[in-house]
Amino acid sequence: MTTRDDHGSPVLSRLLEALPAAVLATHARLGDATARVDPACIVEVAKLLRDASGLEFEMLTDLTAVDYLGEEPRFEVVYHFYSVARNQRVRIKARVSEAEPRLPSLVPLYASADWMEREVFDLYGVRFVGHPNLKRILLYDEFEGHPLRKDYAKAARQPLIGPRN
Amino acid sequence: MAGATQGRGGGLAEDFERDLHIERQTLNMGPSHPATHGTVKFLVELDGENIADIDVQVGYLHRGFEKECESGSWYQAIPYTDRLNYNSAVLANVGFCLAVEKLLGLETPIRCQWQRVLASELSRVGDHLTRCGAACLELQAMTPFLYGIEARELIWDLLESLCGARVTSNYVRIGGVKHAMPESFPAQCRELLSKIRALLADFDAVVTSNRIFVDRLKDTGVISQQDCLRYAVTGPILRSTGVPLDLRKAEPYLTYAEIDFDVPIGEVGDNYDRYLVCVEEMQQSLRIVEQCLAKLEELGPGPVDTLDLRVRWPAKARVFDQMEGLIQQFKSVTEGPRVPAGEGYLAIESANGELGFYLVSDGSEVPTKVRCRPPSFINLAPMPLMLRGALLADLIPTFDFINMIGGECDR
Amino acid sequence: MPGQVIKVERAAKLGFLERLYLPMIAKALWVTSRHFFRNLRGFVTGRNRTDFVVQYPEERVDYPDAFRGIPVLVQLEDGQPKCVACGLCEFACPTNCIRIVSGELEGARSERTPQVFELDLSRCMFCGLCEEACPEEALVMSREVEFASYDREGLRFEKEQLLVPEKLLERRLTFLRAGYDRECEPKGGA
Repeated sequence: MTTRDDHGSPVLSRLLEALPAAVLATHARLGDATARVDPACIVEVAKLLRDASGLEFEMLTDLTAVDYLGEEPRFEVVYHFYSVARNQRVRIKARVSEAEPRLPSLVPLYASADWMEREVFDLYGVRFVGHPNLKRILLYDEFEGHPLRKDYAKAARQPLIGPRN
Repeated sequence: MAGATQGRGGGLAEDFERDLHIERQTLNMGPSHPATHGTVKFLVELDGENIADIDVQVGYLHRGFEKECESGSWYQAIPYTDRLNYNSAVLANVGFCLAVEKLLGLETPIRCQWQRVLASELSRVGDHLTRCGAACLELQAMTPFLYGIEARELIWDLLESLCGARVTSNYVRIGGVKHAMPESFPAQCRELLSKIRALLADFDAVVTSNRIFVDRLKDTGVISQQDCLRYAVTGPILRSTGVPLDLRKAEPYLTYAEIDFDVPIGEVGDNYDRYLVCVEEMQQSLRIVEQCLAKLEELGPGPVDTLDLRVRWPAKARVFDQMEGLIQQFKSVTEGPRVPAGEGYLAIESANGELGFYLVSDGSEVPTKVRCRPPSFINLAPMPLMLRGALLADLIPTFDFINMIGGECDR
Repeated sequence: MPGQVIKVERAAKLGFLERLYLPMIAKALWVTSRHFFRNLRGFVTGRNRTDFVVQYPEERVDYPDAFRGIPVLVQLEDGQPKCVACGLCEFACPTNCIRIVSGELEGARSERTPQVFELDLSRCMFCGLCEEACPEEALVMSREVEFASYDREGLRFEKEQLLVPEKLLERRLTFLRAGYDRECEPKGGA
């Protein structure tokens, strides 16, 4: 992931053309057009993908994170966009560090980001700045730690909280 | 509403109105409510009998699917995918294995592909039957539920003879399927298909134009096309709003490009449209099953596994007879396949919508990341939007036709 | 690509008869009573039974050949397990429900034999990966599914409980053997 080429993908070439500073690296391995972008520009990129004619990615189908323990920046937040009108997909990735796992939220642009950002926050501890209701979604509030981080032991126990009323 | 009751004692009516709406009431529904087939909690804020707002709380069935997959080999993740959507386990099997095969750059034999299509279409029918049957049950119509469940039992009988288990099939393997189709299967399948069709006809006769059923479904839980796209809703809910998005057509995987089937769409996007779309999809899936049977009979017996020695366990005949085979078996089982480093996303059309798997491998035998894009979870998010201002009773059919499956939603 | 997009037929308004309730009720009654009397006739006469419920445990269904029940150990005629305690099933099991301690036994068939073979059925998910891993045809999925117990300890099956004579597993073994020689096997080995 060091090249900044469009790899024959019209989506990537549009992206490189419109926001050359935001795109850090691209690849199109296995046919998935992928761009790694500057986390500060993620809203700009998403806006372009949604609104520019010829791109029209109406859907943010998936949002997740990957923990590359030992690398810096440690977390990679992965967005999958899908355009129903043009039947094309693109994957956008942004790396955030362990010290400051913060990223602008996409909720104002894509409503589907709401629950998925909460899930990433819940399981990885990445904070989405500007999210209207960033709290745990799959786990309970008293849960300690973020279980999908690679340094969270699979057999770790959690405090018992008893029934809530 | 105020001012509608005029005349004698107008003041009284006003008081009455005001008292009714004087304060909102919060109602806890769930996590284990008899009218919701799924473990989910709704915190409903009621204004009289109207829903002012809903807070949907999920996560009661969270069991660390992704963490579990990231601690075993690629093979050991397959049985866990069964437990995502327990109504249509084969679809999740197929999705996961196709995604791994994408990373490996693997092509599966033709018989394997047709068998995968056959098994996944049977499970799709089973899933839709559960959705429609359970919806009837929760709207107090017991008979159609029993017809639907009887038909689903027949589907599960078929899956049992094909895969070896009714619910958690564990049928699909990386680069193949567990075993070939039994010889007696096509005949059994055709016989049961006619029974299933008869039951579907009875189901249809009892509810589709029954006024009680229609009144409960029509114009309830409406969602617009725009909102569906904003919320990334897929599957029958999106199609009921008139968007003909079906990944089997849009991004044909397996052998769907050769199969003749139609994509039903609705226009209003209410629960009734969702019901009609599901019923039509069942008919289309049964058509696909018949085409698969015909094709598999035409192909005759043959390999259902890939030749690629990176992923497949050696044939038992070789394990028993040859030293090399035995050594290879030990290596394959203790290490499991090594998937080339990289990332890949592959989506299939499951019964609820786009079921995607985003996999990351670092080249070792243990996955770095197994992300399941759960259609149930994402389709459930706009539920407050569908129900704001509606009656509390509309919550039940709307939730039924979203068809949230706890195992898949909470993972 | 064959196939097309079709719009579901949705009557904007129900017909007069349908709005009247009564004809629809009669129609539904016709459907349900047809089911009822057909099932009743079959149930009483015992021929062409169409009622769906199986009167378990008096009646039982016959599981198909591919069915996977409890994994069991194949017992040879001399009473010893065929298992050589190689531990492949332990490796293959996703839920770690198998525990094997291997040892040498007096008069045993092979050099190694399981001294302890424990199967925790409260964790087993009947996926059949152990059977696929077994290099000796010593562990197969039986047709047995009834193992209810009052406590979790009762679900921990020991070697002696798991041993089943080879004769009784004939059906499963025949099914498995049919798939042993997969045609796609490369000629000349790996």
